[in-house]
Amino acid sequence: MDDEQELLKRLRQGDSGALEAVIKLHHAFLVAMTTPLVGPELADDVAQETWLRAFAAIRKFEGRAKLRTWLARIAINEAHAMHRKHRREVSLDSWGLDTGSPIGSRFNAQGAWDAPPTQWHHDSPEELLTEAELHECIRKHLHKLPGDQQSVVMMRELGGLDYDEIAQALGLAEGNIRVLLHRGRQRMHAMLDHFEEVGTC
Amino acid sequence: MLSCREMSELGSEILDGHLRLRTRWAVMIHLRMCPRCKMYIKQLKLTAQVLQRMPLGDDAVDTQRILKKLQDSERL
Repeated sequence: MDDEQELLKRLRQGDSGALEAVIKLHHAFLVAMTTPLVGPELADDVAQETWLRAFAAIRKFEGRAKLRTWLARIAINEAHAMHRKHRREVSLDSWGLDTGSPIGSRFNAQGAWDAPPTQWHHDSPEELLTEAELHECIRKHLHKLPGDQQSVVMMRELGGLDYDEIAQALGLAEGNIRVLLHRGRQRMHAMLDHFEEVGTC
Repeated sequence: MLSCREMSELGSEILDGHLRLRTRWAVMIHLRMCPRCKMYIKQLKLTAQVLQRMPLGDDAVDTQRILKKLQDSERL
């Protein structure tokens, strides 16, 4: 956070190095977060518009939220604006439907573990994130999530947005958001579990 | 009595503290008796934490192109 405060200070002073640094830090996230909303062709335009709005308003940003969260909020508004302008969007009609548990087959008829979880080699998020290969694997699997789960995981876990904000952004009830987040986490857990077991993605 | 399958379904509600009192009790009792579910919930928590701390920075992003577009729009 201290690094972020320093970066913000330089941004407010119009330091071009800071502009470049902040784009490198968050552009890929903004594109990834808005891709399920507007499709891959428009996601980059949404991110570009987000930077425009963000840099114009950076002096008003009080730093109460994380910078990534603030940028995510702007990007969601831009994605909605883009939708209105282009009148096209990835269809969200089927969003929010529960696809069921991805680990249903690991239980017996009585609901007890048939294939129980096994011990992982890593015990903390920091330890896990030292594995460079894992970063690539997480990115790959995030993109493989169904669009609705992907959006919710990106907005909540990576973007730090609240449930009600996400519900509003996606036009779904908070209960749906919770289920989608859980399914997304379960799938990402399965990916980590595989990585822990075999050592590769 | 909650089954292990039900525990796995409640996973994120447990992590995010969204449970009602009665369910919270049932979850606590189950977790005391079941090391398997305890491990699953712990790993689910680790998964969430990894995602929260995942840096998505990308040095390959063409910042010059983005900055140029910003300058062209003359609003910077």
